Amino acid sequence: MSAMLELEKVTKRFGGLVAVNAVDLRFEKGSISSVIGPNGAGKTTIFNIITGIYRPDEGNVRFEGRSIVGKRPDQITELGLCRTFQNIRLFNNMTVLENILVGAHTRTPSTAWGAVLRTRHFKEAEEAARQEALQLLRFVGLPRGLGDQLARNLPYGQQRRVEIARALASKPRLLLLDEPTAGMNPQETESAMRLFRRLRDELGITVVLIEHDMKVVMGISERVSVIDYGQKIAEGTPEEVRKDQRVIEAYLGRSAMVETAAVERSRP
Amino acid sequence: MSTQIAPTHRFRQLFRGPLGVLLTLAYIGAITALLILEPRSLLWRLLLFTALALIYFIPQRPAVKVILSVLLLAIVVPTVGLRNPFLLEIGFQVAVFATLALGLNVVVGFAGLLDLGYIAFFAVGAYLWAFFGSQQLWHLNDPPGTFSIYPTFPLAAWWFWIFIPLAILAATATGILLGFPVLRLRGDYLAIVTLGFGEVIRVLANNLDKPINLTNGPQGITPIQRPPLPPFLTSPEVLATLSGWAGRPIGLNDVYGFFFYFMGLIVLIVTIIIARRLEHSKLGRSWTAIREDDVAAVAMGVPLRRTKLTAFAIGAAFSGAMGVLYASNRTFVSPETFSLTASISILVMVILGGLGSIPGVVLGAAVVTLLNIDILQTLSLLLSSLRQGNEVIPLLGVPWKNLPTQLDPARYQRFVFGLLLIFMMIFRPEGMVPAERARLELHESEEEFSPEVKLEGDAMPEEQPVD
Amino acid sequence: MRLRRVNPIKEILRPLGQLLIFVIGSAVIISAFVLLLALLLRPTRTDIDIFQVSLILLPQVLIDGITLGFMYAIIAMGYTMVYGVLEFINFAHGEFVMFGAFAGVELLIWLNAQGVLRTSEMWLALLWLVLAVLLGMSVGGALAVSAERFAYRPLRGTPRLVPLIAAIGVSFLLQDTMRFLQSAINGDFYRTFPEFGPFAQRLTLFSLSIDERPINIAVQYKAILLISFAIIMLVALNYLVNATRLGKAIRSVAQDQRTASLMGIDVNRIIALTFLIGGAMGGAAGVLWTFRFTRADPYMGFIPGLKAFTAAVLGGIGSIVGAMLGGMVLGLLESFAASYFSIFSRGAFGAEYKDIFAFGILILVLIFRPQGLLGGKTTQKA
Repeated sequence: MSAMLELEKVTKRFGGLVAVNAVDLRFEKGSISSVIGPNGAGKTTIFNIITGIYRPDEGNVRFEGRSIVGKRPDQITELGLCRTFQNIRLFNNMTVLENILVGAHTRTPSTAWGAVLRTRHFKEAEEAARQEALQLLRFVGLPRGLGDQLARNLPYGQQRRVEIARALASKPRLLLLDEPTAGMNPQETESAMRLFRRLRDELGITVVLIEHDMKVVMGISERVSVIDYGQKIAEGTPEEVRKDQRVIEAYLGRSAMVETAAVERSRP
Repeated sequence: MSTQIAPTHRFRQLFRGPLGVLLTLAYIGAITALLILEPRSLLWRLLLFTALALIYFIPQRPAVKVILSVLLLAIVVPTVGLRNPFLLEIGFQVAVFATLALGLNVVVGFAGLLDLGYIAFFAVGAYLWAFFGSQQLWHLNDPPGTFSIYPTFPLAAWWFWIFIPLAILAATATGILLGFPVLRLRGDYLAIVTLGFGEVIRVLANNLDKPINLTNGPQGITPIQRPPLPPFLTSPEVLATLSGWAGRPIGLNDVYGFFFYFMGLIVLIVTIIIARRLEHSKLGRSWTAIREDDVAAVAMGVPLRRTKLTAFAIGAAFSGAMGVLYASNRTFVSPETFSLTASISILVMVILGGLGSIPGVVLGAAVVTLLNIDILQTLSLLLSSLRQGNEVIPLLGVPWKNLPTQLDPARYQRFVFGLLLIFMMIFRPEGMVPAERARLELHESEEEFSPEVKLEGDAMPEEQPVD
Repeated sequence: MRLRRVNPIKEILRPLGQLLIFVIGSAVIISAFVLLLALLLRPTRTDIDIFQVSLILLPQVLIDGITLGFMYAIIAMGYTMVYGVLEFINFAHGEFVMFGAFAGVELLIWLNAQGVLRTSEMWLALLWLVLAVLLGMSVGGALAVSAERFAYRPLRGTPRLVPLIAAIGVSFLLQDTMRFLQSAINGDFYRTFPEFGPFAQRLTLFSLSIDERPINIAVQYKAILLISFAIIMLVALNYLVNATRLGKAIRSVAQDQRTASLMGIDVNRIIALTFLIGGAMGGAAGVLWTFRFTRADPYMGFIPGLKAFTAAVLGGIGSIVGAMLGGMVLGLLESFAASYFSIFSRGAFGAEYKDIFAFGILILVLIFRPQGLLGGKTTQKA
């Protein structure tokens, strides 16, 4: 397997605070990986660096072998790397379908001139994008009828799914999901996990998750990286990470008993 | 939502089906009759305007609405306009300002960028034709007020048609030039900077009468040429026939009144179509997306600067084209027209009508323009006629005569605008015809809208793979 | 927020020292730049000795610039304090200035009609002037508090642009309200500051001679008074914000409204007080402005307001010290631009371009250094 995404000694400081400290990460093509760590460990900062929202102070980020440091977020998305957000960031006053169509921005060939003149090319491109958006809606498990609803009127769990559909519309080869099951009940989490697997199995997308729910992490990831205080403290298969003494100490900390119990239960 | 619009809903029911069409026609007919009998009445003018709003709101098929609008705008208004040319003038101004408001709506309503100097792009268009379409080219070295008017012009009048696209280009270029550095600013700073830019353009127009006399300073440029009319429209026979219909002598100026009315209308309709098509395109969605959440928009691949810049440029383009039309309609431009009050009045149109809502913005433009050039002026006239007489103001006991002319309502535009802005922001920030409602109405006519599509955790419909 | 023991004397001396540094620093830098430019242009001009002309003009330009700078600084306080607390550009602040100006002028016109202003005693004239300033402060402050209460408070928590648009509305409404009041009562909409007292007399600082022509460098008492008023107000405000309990409350609300309210601070009251203080400063500035430029009209507050906002941004919005520096720099630049543009361009571009100059600075600062010269130390959010 070759590396889809590689971080080399990536460091990011905010004032005096080192949010991410010389982190090396490697995500293989076609894998499902997780980045875990306590709150404030720097996981979301890493996502923001990868997607170009922050520029790293040191180090390099390579996507499919090419460095993407210094590229704008929209350029990175166009390269085939997309994300979702920790606290859902849908376009609230747009319909669900429009949200997905914005996701398809880089893959829709229509131009402003085409729109004004209503050229055949424009109509075809729009129609194709619409059809694709409806398919994505179905893929993430939402009914067609939802397409014309305003995004803000949807319940939480459905908004999460719309966000994934929106990201999928950009035809990513790698998808970063930032705490995608936060706030879901066990059934919803279960079905979300099925969805994540299908992203890889059916669409061939490399998936990277930031996750708190150990059941999800241990259940679907092939590799787990553990971040604490901006540093990578462990890496490996879920089995290896779970046994790692440093992870148990640093990450699980005081609530180790509870968390370990949860980990035990999720053992396949 | 449904409880909120219930009374209006019942009223709309009245206008359903063929009976509704007849009812609307009767309304239009009645007003037309009243206007022919009393061409100068402000009240009938306003009712004529409500007829157009009525056509928009009634539950009829789009084709019916279009036919009714054409009847009203292309037949009734010109017919009545024969008797009172002021009606055509109002129509033209409403069209100009509605186009400007639609342009600003692209910037503020769609893309969410508050531009307080929007009138500057209008000024660019207007001054472009004012400079080349007048005799200013011959007076570059003469200070204002030292030259007289010649019967000929450096450029022939038909250049007007060339200068409309040129003004679009010039205004777009100005928009890009301004937008490029300032569009990275946060919303409130952007507002102040654009306001500053608007003032800069006005100060330049005021002062570029030296060292080279480009703008003729505060006196403004005049005369500016109007486009040539086709000869058959201005032949004595046609004028005589028209005079016969109108019951008063019809001259060249009246024909120009018709010309500019229809020109304004055509440009407005084209603008509406362009704005609508852009709104429902990839670009329009990107504008809305950056307005809603720019971080998420960028993460989905929308280029932030370029998208904002297109909004700025397209808004400017609308305004530039109208500048040429306006300059040649007035045959005069001066810096006064391009004040901050003018920029804000366009903002008031957009906010009053509904940010991002095309029908709302047109409605807002009509209301504000009527207020500006008709209602306040008529009140002023009324006041000055009262001042001629000997009556006493009812409750105050002061004779009308003693009322200072400084109190003319026409001087208090800012008061009205200020009040409107505050009230709209506090009580109805979405405007008279909110964008979202307009959207829902579109759905209503197509298919039954079901807001209750619910999903539960386990009762998920089967997930389908993407082909 | 740092909690430190406050030494009252130090809190008075520190801003005084800062003001001194700002005035002298910016005056020296800008003068040096202009004189250098004059020296460079000297060989190209045969009509006049441009260096000598520049030198002769310099003292007056400096005094005008410093006076203007202090007035911008006082007006800028209103913007910067409100921005520090609410992150909101109070577009209508210039109108508080205007209302203050009218209040002061009306009082003086009334006093003049009573005949009490016919005095050549400096202290008596000064007393009336102080009274006018105090009235201007009360009116400006009261107006600011009511605007906050009725127009801005209902909009707190809405998207950024909503209160900004409402503030534009308030600005327009206040302008025409004053126009209406003045027109209804006086028949016309502007008023003139009555001439009284010995303020127009000049105090000769020193004399010098250039080419055997004697030149007296003199300052009007007016300018001295304006500057003294401004210094007193700026120092008092600085003391209030940095050395009192109230100031501490204001700073904590600026840092974090939620936490401040959890600590038992009445956030609404503090925000109203911030408007009160800013409005009062603005009202005082209005009276001083008409004292300097003699005419009060309903639209007078707008352009100074915009420039004071520029000054606040230039210094670093949210920072009181920054607003002082920004005001000074802008006042001096504008005064220099107004005098030297036409000399350097042989009359092609005159003082009319000073507004463009100010907006140009605003645009450049916002693009290249949006945090301002001082980057917001006092009340900027973390």
